[in-house]
Amino acid sequence: MIDLEFLINTLSLGSLYALLALGLVLVYGILKLVNFAYGEYIMIAGYGLYFSATVLHLPWWATMLFGVAAAVLTSYLTELAAFRPVRNKSANALIVTSFAVSIFLQNAVLILVSPRARAVQLPPIFSQTVNIAGATTPVRNLLIIGTTITVLILLSLLMKKTVLGMAMRAAADKFTTTRLMGVPANLVISAAFIISGLLAGIASIFWIGRSASVDPVTGAAPLLIAFIATVMGGMHSPTGAVVGGFVYGLLFNVLSITLPASMISYRDAFMFVIVVLFLLFRPEGIIKGGYTEERVG
Amino acid sequence: MKRLGAVVCLVLAVALVLPGCAAKDGTGGKDASDKIVIGAALCQTGIQAPLDEPALRGAQLAVDELNANGGILGKQVELVALDGKSDPVTVGNVAKQLIDDGAKAIIAPSDFDFGGPASREAQKAGIVGISPCASSPLYGSAALGDKQFTLSMWNTTMGAVTAEYAYNEKGWRTVYVITDDFIDYTKSLSKYFIVRFEELGGKVVFEDTYTQGQADVSAQLARIKALPEKPDFIYISSYMPDLALMIRTLRESGVTQPVVGGDSYDDPSLFEALGTQYGSDVYFDTHGYLSDEANPKYSEFAAAYEKKFKTAPEAVWIMPGYDVVMVIAQAMEKAGSTDGAAVAKAMETNTFDLFTGKLKWSDAASGHEPNKAAAMVSLTEGKPKFLGWVIPEKIPAP
Repeated sequence: MIDLEFLINTLSLGSLYALLALGLVLVYGILKLVNFAYGEYIMIAGYGLYFSATVLHLPWWATMLFGVAAAVLTSYLTELAAFRPVRNKSANALIVTSFAVSIFLQNAVLILVSPRARAVQLPPIFSQTVNIAGATTPVRNLLIIGTTITVLILLSLLMKKTVLGMAMRAAADKFTTTRLMGVPANLVISAAFIISGLLAGIASIFWIGRSASVDPVTGAAPLLIAFIATVMGGMHSPTGAVVGGFVYGLLFNVLSITLPASMISYRDAFMFVIVVLFLLFRPEGIIKGGYTEERVG
Repeated sequence: MKRLGAVVCLVLAVALVLPGCAAKDGTGGKDASDKIVIGAALCQTGIQAPLDEPALRGAQLAVDELNANGGILGKQVELVALDGKSDPVTVGNVAKQLIDDGAKAIIAPSDFDFGGPASREAQKAGIVGISPCASSPLYGSAALGDKQFTLSMWNTTMGAVTAEYAYNEKGWRTVYVITDDFIDYTKSLSKYFIVRFEELGGKVVFEDTYTQGQADVSAQLARIKALPEKPDFIYISSYMPDLALMIRTLRESGVTQPVVGGDSYDDPSLFEALGTQYGSDVYFDTHGYLSDEANPKYSEFAAAYEKKFKTAPEAVWIMPGYDVVMVIAQAMEKAGSTDGAAVAKAMETNTFDLFTGKLKWSDAASGHEPNKAAAMVSLTEGKPKFLGWVIPEKIPAP
């Protein structure tokens, strides 16, 4: 059963999930906030694609930039308007706020656009397929693998080589100490949200690319996937999120192929059992984080 | 803490006062007697909204037309809509609220699972409940009560029409079936399609399943590709939004067999999502078609719709929404009252000439089975084409 098609499917699915998980864990690392509005950034990016193509009539590369920019802006604005005011309150306040942001954004598009799905125009290359050694696969699957590798390299350069990256890593380990060293908290947190939005936007192009349509609840499924992947991989490091994403993709595809048709509806149930086992026997995830401390505030 | 307490008190106060006001409006004194309230417990948000939201617009259009022509039984008609939010419990609650506010009939969401709770509340209150497009054979008097109806053909008809079309018109003999186990609609549609297709002599190569929301068909795709003999076509009974993803994924991966399904395909966003590249060789049956060819007087209807909503009709679901109000109006006129039992009796005993065609329900003892034709539609390069109205030669027993 392990053939080239399986390999490409697993790598592309894993890449997509890794991007999703990475965006979620960056904010968690610093704020200790599981941002339930994260799925909405993906949804907003989808509507960005839709609007820039149907209303502004931009060329396809510009619609992609527009979509990603919409996600980045939304992520940054929600940080400014919603999360910053409650940052020093309890952790519960932050979580409830993220739910509120999620509901607000969903209902905003529901009222402003439509509850009905909107078709998104995709560049021609997204609809092409290639034949590699007998395996037919959409070009999109190869693009996502390449994109993820590029994003991971750039992100690790940012984290390791720049002052901002070092500040973010330090803040993820010991936020209070980092602040005492003179690193401005607002800057680090805003940067985390901006990068999180950027990853959501990029992942969104590929997520939406599969169905070519976007609706107000598009964000729910990718949010769940990102959440499970980070739980499996480890909540405390970007590496954990990436590993979690690929492990999720692998498990998903293995279950898809090995489960008989009558059991395929229970694939999610099997996935959740695995997550529960992780929580029971290795709650810190596959990759253990360095230092962990309680959230500031 | 003090401030929090104040906020909670304020919220509670608002929550307590608002429904009070609403209730007052509905039952307020003399107003109640000189107008007839129809309650729409439709889902304006959530997964059911693509069907229910257009239906609500159609119903609003019908109410305007009725009122311009003197209303029902000489009284003006008021359509009150509350959002069922694609949640069966909420649908039941808003239906109850509408009935408490004086609704004389309830319009229920277009599906058994989502619409059933509204009909049960209507039945409890002794009034007529009717769904524009619920097509499960459970939607009728047997499961919901003797005052409950659906304007849609049942899945027995919807499944049989495409089975006969594939077997007789196209000469296809083998099929791969994928059934979404999401709701009763998706499950029962496949069931009756298979019954009729096998009865004709066709062969089901494999019955596969899918679950709405999984957003991945790699498992089903792998099984189709592994088949020693390719099926003549693929029958997919699913729901938007995942339906677009399923068909796209199959096409992208080189599965070129025709895809056949039911009325959930009738969504402009599906046509666009498949586009010119993947939107070919798709066949489905539905409730109507936005053209004069399928529905005489369509142009008139479209003009009225555009005048009211400042946009052209975009989904077929507005037509059944329009028709449910018209059927309620005609039945109330024939019954000479708004009494639930009398209206239900009128609905059982008359044949209705509606915008979406002629409709006759069977009596309560035989389930309120609707006798209605299906519109057969094909998709070529993302463009729908009306193939004609079809009544199947034989309809499977529910």
